[in-house]
Amino acid sequence: MYSNISHSDSVSRLVTTNLKKCYNGVWAVKNLNLELSAGEIFVLLGPNGAGKTTTLKLIAGLLHPTGGRIHVEGMDVQREPVKAKTVIGYVPDEPFIYNKLTGREFIHFVAGIYNVQRDQYEPRMDRLLARLDIGDWIDEYAESYSHGMKQKVIMCQLLVHDPHLILIDEPLVGLDPKSGKTVRELFFELRDDGKTLLICTHTLSFAKEIASRIGIISHGELKFTGTFTELTAIAGASDIESMYLKLSES
Amino acid sequence: MNHLPLILSSRWRIVATSITSMKLVQIISFVFVISCFLFGAYYLFVRVFGYLVTVEVIGYALMDRIIEMAFFIFFIMLVFSNVITSFSTFFNNRELDFLFALPVQPTSIYLNKLLESCTYASWATMVVALPLVIAYGVVTQAPVFYYPIAVLSICLYVVIPAALASMLIFGIFRFLPRLTSRDVIILSLTLICGLTFLYVKVNNPALLKIFETESERELLQFAANLTTIGGTYLPSTWLSNILQGCNVDMNQGVFYFLLLLFVTLSIGILAFFTAKVLYVQSWLLVGERSTQRRKRTSPLARAQTSATRALLAKDILLFVREPTQWVQLFVFVILIAVYIFSLRRTPVYFTFPLWRTIIAFANFAYISFIIATLGVRFIFPTMSLERAGIWLLGSSPFSFERLMTIKYFFNLLTAVIVIECLLLLSNLFIKTDQRLYVTMHFIALVIAASLVSINLGMGSKFPQFNEDNPSKIAAGSGGILAALMSITYVAVMITILATPAYYYLRGRYLNKSHNLFVLLVACALFIIVNTATILLPLRSGLWSFRQRDF
Repeated sequence: MYSNISHSDSVSRLVTTNLKKCYNGVWAVKNLNLELSAGEIFVLLGPNGAGKTTTLKLIAGLLHPTGGRIHVEGMDVQREPVKAKTVIGYVPDEPFIYNKLTGREFIHFVAGIYNVQRDQYEPRMDRLLARLDIGDWIDEYAESYSHGMKQKVIMCQLLVHDPHLILIDEPLVGLDPKSGKTVRELFFELRDDGKTLLICTHTLSFAKEIASRIGIISHGELKFTGTFTELTAIAGASDIESMYLKLSES
Repeated sequence: MNHLPLILSSRWRIVATSITSMKLVQIISFVFVISCFLFGAYYLFVRVFGYLVTVEVIGYALMDRIIEMAFFIFFIMLVFSNVITSFSTFFNNRELDFLFALPVQPTSIYLNKLLESCTYASWATMVVALPLVIAYGVVTQAPVFYYPIAVLSICLYVVIPAALASMLIFGIFRFLPRLTSRDVIILSLTLICGLTFLYVKVNNPALLKIFETESERELLQFAANLTTIGGTYLPSTWLSNILQGCNVDMNQGVFYFLLLLFVTLSIGILAFFTAKVLYVQSWLLVGERSTQRRKRTSPLARAQTSATRALLAKDILLFVREPTQWVQLFVFVILIAVYIFSLRRTPVYFTFPLWRTIIAFANFAYISFIIATLGVRFIFPTMSLERAGIWLLGSSPFSFERLMTIKYFFNLLTAVIVIECLLLLSNLFIKTDQRLYVTMHFIALVIAASLVSINLGMGSKFPQFNEDNPSKIAAGSGGILAALMSITYVAVMITILATPAYYYLRGRYLNKSHNLFVLLVACALFIIVNTATILLPLRSGLWSFRQRDF
């Protein structure tokens, strides 16, 4: 496993140590060691079933690790889940909003869960709703939303509590090109603001454009980590697609 | 090509997989509890019918009237139940997007969904009806062929309301597509209530009359009316005549069986052709309806100041906006209201306080069963209704302990209000003794606490996050287990309370002494059982929830 990339001495926002997850004898994640700093966008690439979503869910506290530890800003996610989750924001690959709530109500609900006062998040939300071209449909029941509309609302609710560590699974699925561009810009702003983003995606061009570092995961193991330049050098490839195919199959 | 066998076989495989994926202990527990319930119900019916056959002159007639009335009430419930279930099964179902996109005949999809709807709407009726008819057969020493005919007749009987409900829903959605789902369900139920009311008013069936039996003349009239058929055109009447016919008059039994079979097939064929013409069109029209835009300010906007308020506001909003929830609640309320107001004649019939006290105790037991039923239907699905949104709660700093605590106390408050109101009204009508009145209200608080715990705990232990229909969640294996546990708990409570009640009656009306030891044992059992039923299900449910991967 290549993890010889040294990065800055900035504070470790996320540290996973020998993280493992086994489902009925099948290892979904094996000895995953990852360290992310503040102000970083880390993109996890890998084939279907490689363990990307499982990794994200383990860090978000939705799955119990079979072994290993996860620390977010020094807090153990297993031992202090409530404290750790106050600084984590998670977006699943399948966006879900309660059918009989409107998008706006769903955002209010999330704000309530995180105990965020209305005057703290509402101006920020209104700006984000406008940026993502979320129109009047925000006040219709979610049962009438398309996948992309749900994805936009989920993106908005993600930032309600101003998380430090942001976990996103397939951020661009269902989004129109303009919204996709807005989301990319948003990710850069969050990074510049000192946030840490851990993103799983299959969209290689997106990964190349936004990633500070890229991780290649295959069969539950983090095989390679590094910047795009470093990984293409390791793979001896000229483009991200060739790099990904060579490294994920090795 | 007929795809129905393929669809049904995949459905069967899903059911088989969900059973085989359960642990052996779970399967055995489930089978054991179901068996205990069926046997318990059978035993109860055998005791009741066994007593009635010993009553001279009117015993058999009373028994037959009970059967007929039971099936009449079941039929009304089945119609309501099928209307509510039909909406979600035939329309509000994501699987349909997949099925209708396939080169499959819509009628195959319809028949598959009809079977599903009928099963979900009728399982509770079958669980009560089967021990009832078997007990009837045993007590009346029915011939061997009675049993398979009885079971087959019940199966035919439950198909009729399912087919009728589907036709009603298709017709309404096809010709009134602008109506919302809420409007359609209200319209359907109003139609059914209206037709039922008209039937009762026009026919004035003896089945529903309450006879005075003070004088000999009135008693003889009552006995004569017991043999009157409740309603010639009702499937419930045909069914009860089939059961009687197997014992008494084979010609009658055969006639009504053929009648039931013919009507079921006719309605089934009519429903099939209605579906052939209307189902796809009505399904497409439902999908094209635009949703109503809500106001920008909502209770959730005001509730986000705390996680508890946000969670409660969300749950209440979702309940109010989901027609399958509040419509079923409305149906329950009507049935309970009919029962409560029927009690007002009790002091007329039972002037001796001893009888009124016995009735008050029986009423208390019945209300406890009502709360048990409501608990399974509305409290058990609570955790499952978080559905895929559980990722939000699981990844947030909102612990599952807190989630369960909030849901427990909210549901407890609701259950306490319901049970106390029912007891208050019913005891007012019965004119119950004051001391008993106060004691019952205190015990009701404890029973409510236990029933909420059982249903919330079991709902956490057996969640179904992939299902969005609360009726189906309650009808799943976990829901059935919770139902049986709740009913068993109430039965145990009534048994424990019967002893102090018995000694109270002896002391109050027969001037006999109390047995302090027995009373103390009953109190101790009451405390021990309720401590266990309040704490254990919640702890077990919370532990299961914490261990779960989401």
